[in-house]
Order: sequence, then C-alpha cells, then structure tokens
Amino acid sequence: MRIRNAIVGLVTVASLLTGCRSKDEVRFSMDPVENIEALWQIIDTKYCYIDTKGIDWSAIHDEYVTKAAVLQKGDQLGLFDLCAAMLDSLRDGHVNLYSNFDRSANTAWFDTYPANYSSTLQSLYLRDYRVAGGMYYCTIDEGRIGYIYYSSFSNSFSVANIDWIFSAFRECEGLIIDVRNNGGGDITNAYSLAALFFTENQTIGYWQHKNGPGHNDFSELEPMRLDASLMAGRKWQKPVVVLCNRRSYSATNLFVSMMRYAEHATIVGGVSGGGGGMPLSYELPCGWMVRFSSVRMYDREKKDIEPGIEPDIAVTMQSKNKDDIIEKAIEIIRK
Amino acid sequence: MKRFLLIGMVLVCLPVSIRAQENVEHDNILKVKIGSGYQLDSYLSPLGYTGMQYGLGNEWWQAFRSDSRLGKAGKLDHWAHVGRVDLSLANYHNSAWSNLFLGFQAAGGWGAYYEWRWFEDRLRVHTGPYLEGGLNVRYHAQNVNKIVSLDVAIDVMAMGGISWSFYGKKTSYRLNYLLRTNLIGFDFLPEYWESYYEITEGVPGQARCSGPWNHNTVKHELTLDLQFPHSTWRVGAEHEWVSYGTADLHFVRNQLSIIVGCRWKYRIRANERL
Repeated sequence: MRIRNAIVGLVTVASLLTGCRSKDEVRFSMDPVENIEALWQIIDTKYCYIDTKGIDWSAIHDEYVTKAAVLQKGDQLGLFDLCAAMLDSLRDGHVNLYSNFDRSANTAWFDTYPANYSSTLQSLYLRDYRVAGGMYYCTIDEGRIGYIYYSSFSNSFSVANIDWIFSAFRECEGLIIDVRNNGGGDITNAYSLAALFFTENQTIGYWQHKNGPGHNDFSELEPMRLDASLMAGRKWQKPVVVLCNRRSYSATNLFVSMMRYAEHATIVGGVSGGGGGMPLSYELPCGWMVRFSSVRMYDREKKDIEPGIEPDIAVTMQSKNKDDIIEKAIEIIRK
Repeated sequence: MKRFLLIGMVLVCLPVSIRAQENVEHDNILKVKIGSGYQLDSYLSPLGYTGMQYGLGNEWWQAFRSDSRLGKAGKLDHWAHVGRVDLSLANYHNSAWSNLFLGFQAAGGWGAYYEWRWFEDRLRVHTGPYLEGGLNVRYHAQNVNKIVSLDVAIDVMAMGGISWSFYGKKTSYRLNYLLRTNLIGFDFLPEYWESYYEITEGVPGQARCSGPWNHNTVKHELTLDLQFPHSTWRVGAEHEWVSYGTADLHFVRNQLSIIVGCRWKYRIRANERL
C-alpha cells in the first residue's frame, strides 16, 4: 500500500511539475479563424517581399478571416485550402503549407512562361552518359563539348566527382552546364559549382535578413563572398555555357546569378525562375508547417534576384526535333 | 560556434582532472535517468513539445585535501567540492503530433561548498557556488534552413543541499535534497529572424550576459540512498526548469526524471617506495 501511494504521489507531482507550460506557448487549436489569423501574422511579420510585390496584405486579412469564420470547425480540408489560397496571393515558389495530408505550392511563377525544356529532346544529346554526384555527364558534338545535366542542387558532389568529369572532358573545347528544371536545393552546392569558374575570391551578391516585424525592417546589405578555393581549387578555364529556364529556381537562380560574373561564361535560355528569398519555416496552432521567404538576396549590382535572371542570349525552344537551347550553346562554344 | 563548444569541453573535462587526488575519499554516484518533459523553442515553433528523455550521469563529491576535515588549530574544516557530468537524449512531439524534436543535452559543472553537520553527522547542510555549462541541441527534421536549434548557457549558480541519515533494521538510509539556481552567466541566442546560414556567416549579437532578470534556471533533486552491506543504491527524482529568451524568442525546458544510481567510495593511494 505504501509503495502504491508513493508511486501515485510521484506521478501526481510529475504531472504538476511538467504540466507547467510557458505563457508564450501557442496552444494547439484547429479553430479556422485562429489559424488564419496566425498564418496572416507570420507572413505579415516575417515574409520579406510583401511591399516589394505590392501586395495589400491587410485587405487579404479581412477577406480570409471572413471566409474562415464561416468554415465549420473540424473541416481540415477546407481550412487547408483556405490557407493555401491565402498563401497563393504571395506568388512565391518558396511558400508552402505542409500538413499530414497535403502540401500546397504556388505554380504561377512559371505557368505562363515557355517550358524551354523537353526531356525527350534532351535525350538526343544526353547519350552514353555517366552520373557523378547527381550530375549526368557525357560529351556531345563528336567529343568536342562536355555536357552536364544537373537536376537538383540538393545532390551533393565531391572533388573526386569533379575530377572524373573534368577528366572525361579533357579534350573538350567547351562545357555546357544545363540547369533547366533544376528547382534548387542547397546553396553551398551552388557556391561549390560556381567556384570552378572563378580564379579569385569575390563578392558575388548581397543578402539582407529581416530584423523586425515591419514590412521593411531589414538588416544592412551583407556581402555574399565566393571562395575560389572551394573544390580544392579545381578550375575550368575554357568557355562554359549555362542553360536555364523559368524552372531554374532558388539555389539554381543564385548559381545563374553568380555565373554571370564568371570570365568565360554565357547564360543561354529563358529567364530563370527567381526564388531569391531564402526560406524559413514555422508552425501554425494546428501543427501544420508554413514555409516562406525570409531573407532577400541581391546580385553584385544590388539588384533583387527574386524576379529571376535574364539570360545573356535568350532562346525559346520551338523545334520539334532538336533542343534549340543546346544547339545555341554548341554554336557559342564552336565560335 | 567553435568557441562555445571549446568552453563546453573544458567545463566537462575540468572536474575530471581535479578529482584525481591521492589519499582523498571520493564519493562517486553513477546514475541512469528516465523521465518526461516539456520544451518550448520559439525559434523553431510556437507550439510546446512534450516527450520522454533518457540520460546518464555521474557525480563525485570529495574533500579538497585528505586533512581538510581537521583544519588549523583543530578546528573543523568542511570545505569540499562536487563535480557532475550529465548526458541525455530526448524525443519530443508537438501537441498536434505533426512534428518531432530529437534532442541531445550535455551538462557539466563543478562547485565548492561548505558543509555543516549536526546530530552526530546525521543532519548535513551545505551551500556554495557552482559553475555549470550546458548544451542543448534540438533537431527538427521538418523545418527548412533551421533544422537545428542550439541553446548554450554557462552559469555561475548558487548551490545548496540538506541530507538526513536514519537507520533501519538491516539498512541505513540517507535522504537528500539538492538545489541549484543561476546567478550570472552567458547565453547563446540566435536572433529569431536568422537562419543558420546567416548565423554561420557571422551575424553579431548571439551571446549575452544572463542572470535572474532574463534567464531562470532551477535544478533540484530529491533522492534516497539505501546502504546495504556491500553496496549503496540511490533512487529519487530530479526536476529541471529553465526559461530564458528575448522579446521574440523564448526557450523553456521543464523536465522531471526518475533516477536510479549506484554509489561507491574509493581512495587513491599514493605511490610508496618498496
């Protein structure tokens, strides 16, 4: 009996002690209005492009709180769709809502642009390829040009990967790096890949993080430095052509922006997708996670890279039996 | 970051080197801990997280010198010191069960104390300063660019304790209550707005002076030592409450663990010539 009482007492004390919650905690809630208010507040205070994009965020608050008020409690699908619709007004590929049953994504930033990529046409060039560190590589144009297709900056690569690729391209007159439909990933991979084409350390852009709740509360511009010694100093000093399209997004957009400053590089294709805002995540009272742009990135001229990077030579794919963008790159290297 | 890790390593190693004294009785307690807790890390989420944690700890108590029990002029001298190292792993989920924290905690400390004894040493009370370094890492798999949150604190604390010995038919017991609370120290705090990309690029203002005005730590434990003929065991409970932050960032840790440990004493003999 004494032991049982002691256990009951201990459990009671444990519940009391660990039951003490912080006053700053947001309580779990599925209430539609509470979650819409929380989502609106997160974006209002932490999203970095509200004023830049000319969004009337206050009007959106009124519109969606009114819609949330008529939603039935417990209608999770309805609440998710409402939150997703509110986030859609930001027109930002870095904005997503994650729940246990769905993920929202905005596609307006590329829907109205030419695709400028066809895997079928690409396969006419990408033959007998090998894959190293997520990079598909082969030679084209009778061995005169090296071709790399890098589909995601989430795939890491090593110095050894680069050594093998460069070894395969040692007889080539030029290199094509195709980052079309590359939706981004880790920006450290973007730095590493770009470093292959720079011989000196340099500022290749700036970033600016939010430091307060106001729409224009930002830190000073801080330089983004490219370290040319990355990848153990491996260098490609022959011509290089970077192929991009509207779906070259986020870290890929940053890579394209950096490559404009490389000595032997040419950017060919369509305007890149943007995604210059580095994303952060936060949770709503219902436990869903919202991702949003929080840190603004600029190029070396302090121009915002969120809208995308214009290519040096714009090419729109029109042919049915060849990849016009790759053909243009071959033509540039042959010159 | 390296600076904080280095300081943490030194704090963990310091007591280990100090304790290796000859001709001094070392009172060592090795313990395992299992418990539940609550954490709020508003850098990662506004929601509170609850779950279980599992830990291992070691503490040692010893006099400064072999003759420290009898000081100058035969006056009793009860200065002694204590060191601790604690490691634990935690698995916490949010109240919506939609996300998990995986946590790792490491803490090490050393303190000196003065002890008073009454009733033929059955009642003992001690108090003194205590220096502690703590590292708490949380891995949040579903976050983006902020997948890890760190809080690091170094505190000078006030330490106190009371113990009472009593005897059964075949066993003797000692009931202990220990309390530590912070006085002054340093915190590592990222700015809420920062991602770890920015922190590693060197955004300033990540360390600050801390004290009861902006950082509260209370660690206390209630334990019972059971002395059998050939071994001494410790059982009890340990509670830790930590709360600190800035205007838009708040860390709270509230944990309760059950302790089971083994206690033993040993003495390192000096080398003697043959």
